[in-house]
Amino acid sequence: MSETDRLLVVEDLSTTFTTPSGRLPAVSHISLSLDQNETLGIVGESGSGKTVLARTIMGLQPRTNVEVTGSVLLNGHQMVGVSEAEKRNYWGTDVAMVFQDPMTSLNPVMRVGRQIDEALRVRMNMPKDAARARAIELLELVGIPSPERRYRAYPGQLSGGMRQRVVIATALACSPQLLIADEPTTGLDVTIQAQILNLIDELKERLHMSVVLITHDLGVVATRTSRIIVMYAGRVVETGSTRDVFHRMRMPYTRALLESSPKVTSPSHTRLHAIPGRPPNLVNLPPGCSFAPRCASATQRCHEERPELEVDSTPGHAFACWNPLPIRPERVA
Amino acid sequence: MTIERTPLLKVRDLTVTFGKGHHAVSAVAGVSFDIYEGETLGLVGESGCGKSTTGKALMKIVEPTSGTIDLEGVEVTKLRGRDLRNARTRMQMIFQDPISSLNPRRRVKDIVAEPLDCWKSVAGDERAAIVSKLLNEVGIDPFVYGNRFARQFSGGQCQRISIARSLAMRPKMLICDEMVSALDVSVQAQILNLLSDLKDEYGLTLLFIAHDLAVVKNVSDRVAVMYLGKICEVGPSDVLYDAPAHPYTKFLLGAALEADPDAPTHGEVLQGEPPSPINPPSGCRFRTRCPLAQERCASEEPVLSDIAPGHQVACHFPLISRRD
Repeated sequence: MSETDRLLVVEDLSTTFTTPSGRLPAVSHISLSLDQNETLGIVGESGSGKTVLARTIMGLQPRTNVEVTGSVLLNGHQMVGVSEAEKRNYWGTDVAMVFQDPMTSLNPVMRVGRQIDEALRVRMNMPKDAARARAIELLELVGIPSPERRYRAYPGQLSGGMRQRVVIATALACSPQLLIADEPTTGLDVTIQAQILNLIDELKERLHMSVVLITHDLGVVATRTSRIIVMYAGRVVETGSTRDVFHRMRMPYTRALLESSPKVTSPSHTRLHAIPGRPPNLVNLPPGCSFAPRCASATQRCHEERPELEVDSTPGHAFACWNPLPIRPERVA
Repeated sequence: MTIERTPLLKVRDLTVTFGKGHHAVSAVAGVSFDIYEGETLGLVGESGCGKSTTGKALMKIVEPTSGTIDLEGVEVTKLRGRDLRNARTRMQMIFQDPISSLNPRRRVKDIVAEPLDCWKSVAGDERAAIVSKLLNEVGIDPFVYGNRFARQFSGGQCQRISIARSLAMRPKMLICDEMVSALDVSVQAQILNLLSDLKDEYGLTLLFIAHDLAVVKNVSDRVAVMYLGKICEVGPSDVLYDAPAHPYTKFLLGAALEADPDAPTHGEVLQGEPPSPINPPSGCRFRTRCPLAQERCASEEPVLSDIAPGHQVACHFPLISRRD
């Protein structure tokens, strides 16, 4: 498949905010691409730039104090450096986003049905009755019981899981080709989380969408994505197929992230491998690798020179590290 | 086994009801459990199941409606005034949001010394020495950071300061309410390791309330699972996670995500959402979502009873067979 056939091609994208304490490079030199009907996971801790990256791809930066360079080609349309009016042509139909907090992404004093058919009436010029019928169809599609009744409900009358379903229905209203889900299940209970993640998977297949799933939880991306990107301090530190990143990880940060989270399958009182220190201040980044101050295998070079993303032996698997972890033999299942 | 030991905390038929009449919500609807000295009891459940309210009722931050709470032979529910304050020195609580549980405009060393000042137990050099020791123990250098304000710290550091403050009166028991859920995984691991070190050092008994099953298993000796204001299963954590007896526990564990692409694909997902605690279902509270529910579940409420030594379940049709 050639580059132009891809749904999303991001090249050398950087987003820098101007803050009172200095320039803050929230996203630095990121390149990625996404095919039709593919799910890409973006993983990182808070402050690693994953949400800013998603918002920059959407073209949702603030109007002032921000500088975006590089290129985002979405379905062949450039999203960087174009006016909001132009970007509005692609929102909803080419790309749509599901935000983290389902309470604040819905208008609390507007019935949920109207919030869904607003997109249909404004973007698709649908007559009112048709929009209403389509909105009820969408509510049914996302698994909301008695959709006619829920159409007239206010967000406050719905539970967190139901509200997130409404947000997904709103995002799907104009049949986007790419759905960006930013921490769609954070703050929801585990049983509801499983329902929402299954729903996104199911809708992706049914509607032939591509999905970008952003999360801090490695468990969320492990079985639901084909490729993942690990971010740290605004940069991609490792990327590859999900199996490669989990089983043949080369970047010490990826391993540290995986080993620091407790597992349901390990016995009680297992000592956790905590990562010492905390993520760096982006305004004042060290000259070398951003993870070096917390890394157990850091050497002098790591502190002085920044490693670039380097392709591993397996195609598509790349990492940015001077002292990568040794390649483990393929795990025998 | 822990069974031989005397419990440090005995809770019997604890209920907490908010509101009156038709609007009454029974957040905690008859909960009984023991916590033995030196152990960690994990309390898991989905939001709204009453786990935080249970923790707060133990501290009498919310007033229990009925039931008894026995801490080392002292009946806490009846205590008032000075006696209650006295009892609270032996039981301390750590809250979910580390940043809002510290006064942003106070200095770290004063925050940690606050319990000591309240009791006027120590002063001067001795007070300073205790504060320095506590801060050192939670990994915050008292000479560098002691004079800084709480607002200058990150979430993980604020949680360390909260822990130091809660240990100032040398309590027997700590109630940790979702203490790591607001933290990033790398910081969460630091705090969990710290908690486990301090537990050994101070001989603490913990009630660890959280929604994250993996975190609860990591810290707990025994785990209690709550659903809609009631405990549906209690057991040693390894046993409960390996062979859950209550269908709800099984679904909860099935929904936990494993960070492994080769993990078995997800089993059956629990449908629907918990019913409202204003009008809970008759009989077993889980029956409306339970695939195994039968008529008996609607008419008769299952009581928590032994299914194996130290393992209790409240279900008419448990998933594992009873043995004595």
